[in-house]
Amino acid sequence: MSGVTDQERERGYLEIFQEVARLISMVLDPQQVMDLVVRRLPELLEVDAATIRLLDTGTNTFVLGAAHGLSGEYLSRGVIDTREVMDMLMKGRPVAKTGVDADPEDRFSDEAAREGIQSVLSLPILFQEHIIGLMRLLTRQPREFTPMEVSFAMTLAEQIGVAISNGRLFKEMENQVDFLKEVHEISRLVNSTLDLNVILQTIVERLPAIMGMKACTIRLVQPETNQLELAAAFGLSPEYLERGSIRKEDSIFKALKGEPVAVYDAPNDPRVRYHEAIRKEGIKSILAVPIKKGSEVIGVLRLLTTEHHCFTASEVTFASAVAEESGSAILNGLTFRKINLLFQQIEENERFLQTIMDSLQDRIIVVDDKKRVVMVNKRFLEQEKLSEQALLGRRYDAIIPWISADGDACPVARVLAAGEMLSRTDRHQHNGETQWLERSIFPIFDPAGRVEYAVETVRDVTSQKSLEQEQLAREKLAGVVEMAGTVAHELNSPLFAAMGMAQLVRDEIENAELRGEMEIILRNMRSMADLTRKMTEMTGFASKDYVGEARIIELHEPVPNGREVL
Amino acid sequence: MAEIIALDDVYDAAILIKKILTKKGHTVHTFTEEEEAVDFVRNHPVDLAILDIKLKKMSGIEVLAQLKKIQPTMRAIMLTGYPTVETARDAISLGANEYCIKPIDKEELEDKVSRVLGGETP
Repeated sequence: MSGVTDQERERGYLEIFQEVARLISMVLDPQQVMDLVVRRLPELLEVDAATIRLLDTGTNTFVLGAAHGLSGEYLSRGVIDTREVMDMLMKGRPVAKTGVDADPEDRFSDEAAREGIQSVLSLPILFQEHIIGLMRLLTRQPREFTPMEVSFAMTLAEQIGVAISNGRLFKEMENQVDFLKEVHEISRLVNSTLDLNVILQTIVERLPAIMGMKACTIRLVQPETNQLELAAAFGLSPEYLERGSIRKEDSIFKALKGEPVAVYDAPNDPRVRYHEAIRKEGIKSILAVPIKKGSEVIGVLRLLTTEHHCFTASEVTFASAVAEESGSAILNGLTFRKINLLFQQIEENERFLQTIMDSLQDRIIVVDDKKRVVMVNKRFLEQEKLSEQALLGRRYDAIIPWISADGDACPVARVLAAGEMLSRTDRHQHNGETQWLERSIFPIFDPAGRVEYAVETVRDVTSQKSLEQEQLAREKLAGVVEMAGTVAHELNSPLFAAMGMAQLVRDEIENAELRGEMEIILRNMRSMADLTRKMTEMTGFASKDYVGEARIIELHEPVPNGREVL
Repeated sequence: MAEIIALDDVYDAAILIKKILTKKGHTVHTFTEEEEAVDFVRNHPVDLAILDIKLKKMSGIEVLAQLKKIQPTMRAIMLTGYPTVETARDAISLGANEYCIKPIDKEELEDKVSRVLGGETP
């Protein structure tokens, strides 16, 4: 720019400054700002090429933001410039160098020579006194940058710094608005259901998609063990998910204390374990945020990336907000699941009890304190040939077939009134036959101690009763037979002696009249002998009326090939 | 003529047997105590024992077993006022020749004794 007056130069700078200011005011995206600047500045400042690099605070290195007028090979070189230049830039000072292609001790020199670069003006891009990047203006002809040019370029770099920062801020705000919308949407989705699986799956699938990340997991604290257990995952292999417990990881420990944890270099960071599995899965960065319900941490949400990622404050805030919004829904889902489980258990218990009641051979009927039927078992329905609908709600007295014939007060009414268990055996006529029913009635009390229900079990004991009566008759017969046998035996010996002696005497008598009288004695003795024989051989008896209230028995002898009779 | 013992806890019954059989020419020794009857047979072989089944200390079946040990060839008639299948089976298995039910006729007794002593089995 030789041969130009200072006044003309200043006017030229002003025009350039105005042009740059106008350009950078046109766009808000920091990438667009950088692209525009590197494309237009070489023309305005009469240089051949320009680059802008931004400082990555995570790695403290400068990464290429935009470039113009340079080959891809040159741009992808290992070092930006000499150590001295970089140190000066980090201190916020510009560095102008010419003959950069001819310094044998400079590593950068070869690269510059290959690209045909001879002079470079390197400028720090500052924002609020912090370096956020650097701008380089390059020429293929030797050029000495004057202090005024350097000063002007610094002013431009500063403007670019403001524009980039504003763009970043705008982008951040735009992200935050997007995040807010997403938080609202996720919140709407997870609160629209009580199905825990749907809630968890919605979060793990939507969140990484919104944030441009690989995967997401949710672990929930199990109340029984107070341990974290994987509840949902998206974007990760089963091998990775089964790598082992992570409860001893620092990142989890902190997240459980309610703090978000951002891990930039997950394969090497000591705050996470299983580095080999992390490497194998291709994970580079992890963000862990607590899932809260109020002040209580109920789980941990983790977001995982496949590129090294420096989580911004708004990303952390967004993930935390989603986790917090989801906390209530997850807790509701958990509660709903518990309630469902309880209902299932109650239904299962009810079915089990019903099966037991229906399997019983006793008839069971339950009445409320107004003596209205509230429940009967299957056996009752089968016996009475009635449907449950036809019975429920009806009066007890109207449906039971065993009302006492003897006019006793209803035992169920007595139990409802007195609250004491009652048991009895009733005789009842059924289809012209006598039935014996064993009835047990139990009271059921409400919490206040009042009888709320009465449960009656009815068992048909007719067969049992018949057996008892038969047994009684058998015992009676055995007693009579024993007695008859004993009496007969005790009589037989004296009768034998008396009868024999009588026969001897008869044989000695010669008087016909006396002999006839002795025959009468002997005939009656034989009748007695006949009776004792009957007594020893008896198998049954029948009682029959005698005189007045007295009764006598008639002996039964064995019937050949026939049944013994009582 | 035969040597006979009659064992019955009712004294009159034993005397009756003696009277009836003595008239038939037999010698009859009467007993109401089991041990006395057994001791007698131990010292005096007999042809026939007429034993009541219900005695004072032992049963007639037990006495029969003891007598048969002492004198296996001895014949026996069992008398009972209370016949049972069990006593009948036991008596026969121990070698009793007759099992009679009281009261028995004079003629029937004479007939049974005659048959048993004549070697006939029922």
